[in-house]
Amino acid sequence: MTTLAVAPEFTLPSVAGHSLALSDLHASGPALLLFVSEECPTCTLTLRRLSPAIPDLTRAGVRVAAVFEDPLEVAARVSRRTGFVGDVLSDPAPYDVSRAYSLQSLPTAVLIDRDGHEVNRVVGWDAAALRTLLSVSVTDESPVRKPGCAAKNTYDAESLRALDGAGAFDELEEMFERGWTDGLPAIPPTVERVDAMLGGRDGSRLLGEIAPAMARVTLERVAACSVLAGCRPEYFPVVIAAVEAVLEPAFNVGGQAVTTQPCGQVIVVNGPVREAVGLNGSVGALGPGWRPNMTIGRAVRLVVSLTGGGFPGRLDRSTLGNPGKLSMCFAEDEELSPWEPLHCSRGFSGSSSVVTVIGADAPLSISDHRSTGPLELAGVLGEAAAATWSPNWWPLGGASLFVICPEHARSFAEWGWSKERVREEMFSAVVRPAGSLRWGETTPFVNAAGDEQPVHKWDSPDDIMLVVAGGEAGRYSAVFGPCLGMNTEAISKEVQWTT
Amino acid sequence: MDYVSPFDERSRVTEPLAPRPADLSGARVALLDITKRRGDEFLDRIEELLQSRGAVTFRVVKEIFSKPASPEIVRQIADRGDLAVEGLAD
Repeated sequence: MTTLAVAPEFTLPSVAGHSLALSDLHASGPALLLFVSEECPTCTLTLRRLSPAIPDLTRAGVRVAAVFEDPLEVAARVSRRTGFVGDVLSDPAPYDVSRAYSLQSLPTAVLIDRDGHEVNRVVGWDAAALRTLLSVSVTDESPVRKPGCAAKNTYDAESLRALDGAGAFDELEEMFERGWTDGLPAIPPTVERVDAMLGGRDGSRLLGEIAPAMARVTLERVAACSVLAGCRPEYFPVVIAAVEAVLEPAFNVGGQAVTTQPCGQVIVVNGPVREAVGLNGSVGALGPGWRPNMTIGRAVRLVVSLTGGGFPGRLDRSTLGNPGKLSMCFAEDEELSPWEPLHCSRGFSGSSSVVTVIGADAPLSISDHRSTGPLELAGVLGEAAAATWSPNWWPLGGASLFVICPEHARSFAEWGWSKERVREEMFSAVVRPAGSLRWGETTPFVNAAGDEQPVHKWDSPDDIMLVVAGGEAGRYSAVFGPCLGMNTEAISKEVQWTT
Repeated sequence: MDYVSPFDERSRVTEPLAPRPADLSGARVALLDITKRRGDEFLDRIEELLQSRGAVTFRVVKEIFSKPASPEIVRQIADRGDLAVEGLAD
């Protein structure tokens, strides 16, 4: 009679959240250990092909556990991908358990009897040998035999370092698998990174609930979104203020998040924090190229679309969307502006740092290199907005955000026009008789008006918001399309930060 | 590796749907007008059809379509109605 060897005892972490010992696994019957690793294609094949046999093995009293020569999160991911339903354990570097079982190559299936003795083992994929070992049906699909890869406990240090590099790449892939992204690569929000983002702030602090998910927006979740978005910790105070603004009921982010309209959330930043974090309000202010602009706007959008549940194609039903729904954050160029900055117009002191969020569509560029007077330029800027929302939808019933380029702003200043004067003249310039607007999508106001009754594009000059940004050269301003039907208001919040 | 989830991972209790009534005779039906354009026209026609089947209807109107119904509106529907019909979109 052959004496069976005692299988080496071990205790390993399981993806189910607790540790499992070998003695747990064979406590009430035999245990099958499948030693595998992420990088080995034969291991993947074995996990896939043996998974259908697990119910039969369970009925026969055999408990099946995959033991990965990988970290726990890799084991979790590979088992999820392969549909493996048994226990999943992790034996990462230095692979003590793998070494104790003298594994040379993976996969290796080791059958342990109820008393903890090794009955037999099968190395590589070998359908016939596994059938004999396990007494269950195993697929005869080609290949019926396939050798595996070297067990990692046999690797030299240099090879292991190369493998770690491959693992880091997959960490990014995992963000896509989890759906923790807007479609671009995202930085994994590890506990360490989120802690660094929080910078000692209380992560459990509740900022509010966000529709449509009615999810609790804690500072920790905002920090996770900020890490995913690629923010540096010094940007975090700006993100917090923007999220606080978004959560104000008067902003109606829930409506904006789910509407068929294309609107996103535009963030304008004023005050000294712009320079402290490097926010761009100059050349290319509405475009790519500046990390603070791109990542602060993206962090806020991730709070809306991930935490808030307004994810495109799911609860976000935007017919077309717009590129600004990825990120839209810029600074006002207060230094080149001849006028009072936005935050001062909204009641904040010039020395304070303030974010203003506005529900808005994509920007429309307005070229004007030819106007010779302020009335002409104000008319050009205003008329560009005449067709926004829909050409005959007058009055708009909402606000339009204009970004005035420094050259246009300087011209107005040289002609002696204040910001208020520009807004008033833009308002006055865009007016039509109601009869000319009565086709296609038009408003109840136009339908009720007499043919010759003048109708303005806006209810009042107050619906024209002006900020100054852009490169010093070039006469291109822009107007953002509106977000309507939401009763949404622009919201400003002071940034709580220290130099 | 441990990650911090951007999601609120609390589990939610899903309320089961109320049983479907065998017929509409005498049923009290709330018609929720969310104030989307022409939603009232849709509900007018639904109301005719419901009344022809013996249902008793009543209107409830949301303040604005783009915000969730207030708890008072939901309470009204629950207290006064056996069924509810909501008209969406334009």
